[in-house]
Amino acid sequence: MIQTVLKRDGRVVGYNEEKIKAAIRKAMLQTELGEDEALIHKIADRIGITGKEQMSVEEIQDRVELELMKSPRKEVAKRYIAYRDKRSIARRAKTRDMFLEIIEAKNNDITRENANMNTDSPAGMMMKFASETTKPFVDDYLLSDEARDAVKNGYLHIHDKDYYPTKSLTCVQHPLDRILKSGFIAGHGESRPAKRIETASIIGCISLETAQNEMHGGQAIPAFDFYLAPYVRSSYIEEVKCIEQLAGEDYSSLYNASIDDYIKLPLDGLKGIERAKQHAINRTVGRVHQAMEAFIHNMNTIHSRGGNQVVFSSINYGTDTSAEGRCIIRELLQSTYEGVGNGATAIFPIQIWKKKRGVNYLPSDRNYDLYQQACKVTARRFFPNFVNLDATFNQHEKWNANDPHRYIYEVATMGCRTRVFENRFGEKTSIGRGNLSFSTINIVRIAIECMPIKDQEERISRFFAKLDDVLEITARQLNDRFNFQKTALVKQFPLLMSRLWNGSENLKPNDTIEPVINQGTLGIGFIGLAECLVALTGKHHGESDDSQKLGLRIISHMRSRANEFSERYNHNFSILATPAEGLSGKFTTKDRKSFGIIPGITDKIYYTNSNHVPVYYHCSPRKKAQIEAPYHELTRGGHIFYVEIDGDATHNPKAIDDIVALMDQYNIGYCSVNHNRNRCMDCGYEDAQDHLDECPKCHSKNIDKLQRITGYLVGTTDRWNSAKLAELNDRVVHK
Amino acid sequence: MQQDYIRIADIIPGTSVDGPGLRTSIYVSGCCHQCPGCHNPMTWDFNFGTPTSVADIMKVVEENGFNVTITGGDPLYSIPAITPLIKAINAAGLSIWLYTGFTFPQILNLPGIDDILPLIEAIVDGPFEINLRDTSLCFRGSSNQRIIDVRASLASGSIVTFNF
Repeated sequence: MIQTVLKRDGRVVGYNEEKIKAAIRKAMLQTELGEDEALIHKIADRIGITGKEQMSVEEIQDRVELELMKSPRKEVAKRYIAYRDKRSIARRAKTRDMFLEIIEAKNNDITRENANMNTDSPAGMMMKFASETTKPFVDDYLLSDEARDAVKNGYLHIHDKDYYPTKSLTCVQHPLDRILKSGFIAGHGESRPAKRIETASIIGCISLETAQNEMHGGQAIPAFDFYLAPYVRSSYIEEVKCIEQLAGEDYSSLYNASIDDYIKLPLDGLKGIERAKQHAINRTVGRVHQAMEAFIHNMNTIHSRGGNQVVFSSINYGTDTSAEGRCIIRELLQSTYEGVGNGATAIFPIQIWKKKRGVNYLPSDRNYDLYQQACKVTARRFFPNFVNLDATFNQHEKWNANDPHRYIYEVATMGCRTRVFENRFGEKTSIGRGNLSFSTINIVRIAIECMPIKDQEERISRFFAKLDDVLEITARQLNDRFNFQKTALVKQFPLLMSRLWNGSENLKPNDTIEPVINQGTLGIGFIGLAECLVALTGKHHGESDDSQKLGLRIISHMRSRANEFSERYNHNFSILATPAEGLSGKFTTKDRKSFGIIPGITDKIYYTNSNHVPVYYHCSPRKKAQIEAPYHELTRGGHIFYVEIDGDATHNPKAIDDIVALMDQYNIGYCSVNHNRNRCMDCGYEDAQDHLDECPKCHSKNIDKLQRITGYLVGTTDRWNSAKLAELNDRVVHK
Repeated sequence: MQQDYIRIADIIPGTSVDGPGLRTSIYVSGCCHQCPGCHNPMTWDFNFGTPTSVADIMKVVEENGFNVTITGGDPLYSIPAITPLIKAINAAGLSIWLYTGFTFPQILNLPGIDDILPLIEAIVDGPFEINLRDTSLCFRGSSNQRIIDVRASLASGSIVTFNF
C-alpha cells in the first residue's frame, strides 16, 4: 500500500489518491466516451493497495498507464501517455529555453551576467550550462527554507551561487614571497624558486592563474613591489657577472654596491668599474621593463579559466622605497602608460596605488615622484586606482618605516573593492587571506514595503525591524555556507591550501580546511541606499541632510549587527558596499513586478551601486566626497569612491591628484577616477570626446570606448547586461 | 557697492577642462567678440544669468577649495566688476586662470587691467577661430589661442607661454 510519494525534486510527500483520479479524469475528458467514474475509482484503488510503501511519481504513472491499457478504455491510455509526454517536455522546456539561449549566443542577461566572460566560446558555454543548472540544485538541496525564500522573494542575493556546491572560497591576496622563495607545483610542472626578474614575474602570473581555478573570485598581489624587488638586484648581479666575463675583470664589489636608483643613463665618459656598473643598471632596467610588460600582457591574454576568462587580477604597490622596489614601480607604470600590443589600454591587472603619507604622498616623500607618475598613468589608462593607507581604519599600529616586512601591515584591496584587513583570529593583515562568501540584501525592497506607513518615524522603525529580520537570515545563510565550505578537503585546492592561505602550511591533503578558513571574511552587502532613502524619506542622501543622517544610521546599524554576528557565530563578518554587476538589475526587475514603477525608486532598471549618490545626480566632486566618505569607515568588507571627471584627463593629471587629495582629506578608503577614453582601433588616435563615432584623423568607425564596470574596465559594452548599460547611459560627470 | 555684483551665467565647482587640476569655473556674462562656433552664445548677453555678490561667489569658491578659472562671456568686458572678485580669490590663496577673446597686447591696454593682471597666473588669450579648431589641444579651443604665463610675461616684457 502506498504511503508516501517521492517527488521529482527529491521531496517526499504523503500519498494522495485524488491526484491519480484527477489525471485519469483529464485524459478521459479528451475522448469521445468521456468520464467513467467507476473505472477511475477501480484503477486508483488498485494502485493504492498493490503499490509499494514508497513510490516515485514516474513509477505510479507507469502503473496508471498499465491499468488503462488492461481496461476496455485503451483510447484513454493513449491520451494519458500523450499528456504525460507533454508535461515532461514542459518540465524540460525551461532548461531547454535556457540552453538554447546560450547555444544561439544571444545577448541576453543570462549570457551577460559577467562582462569579463566570453560566453560565446565553447568553454564559456560549458561554464554557463554548468552554472545555470547548478543554481536550482543549490536552491533545492543546499539552502535553508528561509534563505531560499528570501532569495526567491527578492530580499537576498547569494553571490556566486553557482559555485556553492564546489565549496570554493571567494578570493585571496597572494603572499607571493612564499611562492617565489620556495617554488611550487602546479598542473604537471614543478617550479623552482625564482632567480631573476623574468621568472619572478611569470611565476606571479602562474600563481594567480592557478589559484583562479581553485576559487570563484579575484586574485590579487598585495605588495607587488616588495615581492619582486629582490629579483631586480639578482638580475643586476647577473649583468655584472656577464660584464666580468667579457672584460676579464673582477667587479664582484659591485654585487652589493649601493644603488640609489635604477635609471638608464648614457655611458659617455664613464670608465672601468663605473662604466660596468652603469651598463649593468641600464641592462637591468631594460629587463625589468620587459618583465613588467610581459606580466601585463600575460594577464590580459592567458585565458586560464573556462569562458575565455583571464584572471580577475589586481596588484597593489607604491610603498617600497628601495631602489629595486622603485625600479619595479617605475617600469610597471611606464609599461602601463605605453599600453599593450599597439598601445591599447590594459584591462588587467587592476592596479592599485597604495597612497601613504611619509612614503609617497607628500612632496618630500621618497616615492612622491612615482606618485606623480601614477597620476599621469591614471589620467591616460584609468589605472592605478588609489587605496588610502592613511584612512584611520586602514592604519596599523605595527607599521614601521624601517621594517623590511612592513607591507604585511599595509592594507591591500581587491580591484573590485573587496577589503579584508581586520582579523579576530590572528594578525590584522590583508595577506594570505580573503573573502569566503558574500550575500547582498535588497534594502530597497524592505523600504518600499514600509512606504504605506504614513507616519515617518513609524515607517523608519518598521524598516529597521524588517531589516533586522533579513540580517538574521543573511547571517545564518552565510554561516550555513561556511559550515558547508569548511568540510572541503585541502586537496581540492592544491595551491591555495598548500602555499597561499594563512595556516595552510600545516595541513595535509586529506585534512579538511576547517582549521584555517576562519581567516577569511563573510560579507553582508547592500545595494541601492539612494533608492532606499527615497522610499523612506522622499529624498536620497545627496539631496537632503536628513536622508544622509538616516543613511548613515542604516549602515551603522548594519555594521554593529555584523559585529554581533561575528561574536555569535565566531567568524569575521563585515559589511560590503556591494559592486553587484550581475545584481544591478535583478532586484529592480523583481521589485517592479511586485510594486510597479515608483518614481525615484524603480523607475530605472537598475539600483544605485551601494552607498553611492545616483549616477544621474549632478554634484561636484567635493560634495560627492563629503556625502560618500563616512560610509567607507562603516563598510570594512569593501567600498569605492568614484569620480567621473568631465574632460580629457590625459591633459590634466593634476585633476587626478586633486581627487586623491579629496580621498586624503575626507578619510576615504579607496577611490578611482572615471573619464572618457576613445581610441581608434585602426590608426590609434585617442581622445576624450562624448559619443565619438568616427575617428577625426582617419574616419574609421572602429572606435573603442573604454568604460569601467564595477571596478574593472571593458573596452566594449557588448558584454554589459541591460541594467548596467542603462546605468552607463545615465552617468553624469561630477563637476 | 554696485560693482560688487557680477552677472554670473554659471559656476561649475570642480571641472577638469579649464586648467590644471580640478577648478571652480566662474562664467561671467557678456561678450562682444561673438566668435562663430562659440560654445556658449547665450552668455554674450550682458544681462544673462544672475547678479551675484562677490561674497556669494567666494562662498562657492571656498567651499570647494579648488583653484579658480574665470571665463564667460568674456570677463575682461567687466573689469570693474571682476576686480574685487579677483582680489578676493587671490587673498584666499588660490590661483586664477582667465579666458578672454582679447589678445595679450590688447589686454595690456584695457582700462583697469593693471590692478588685476599681476594677480592672475595664466591667461588663455585670443578669439576662438573655428577654422583653427583642434580637439586635441589642451585647455584651448583653437590653435591661435595661447596659455600665457602672466607673471613671467610681465617680468620679461615678452609673451611667455605655459606648455601643456
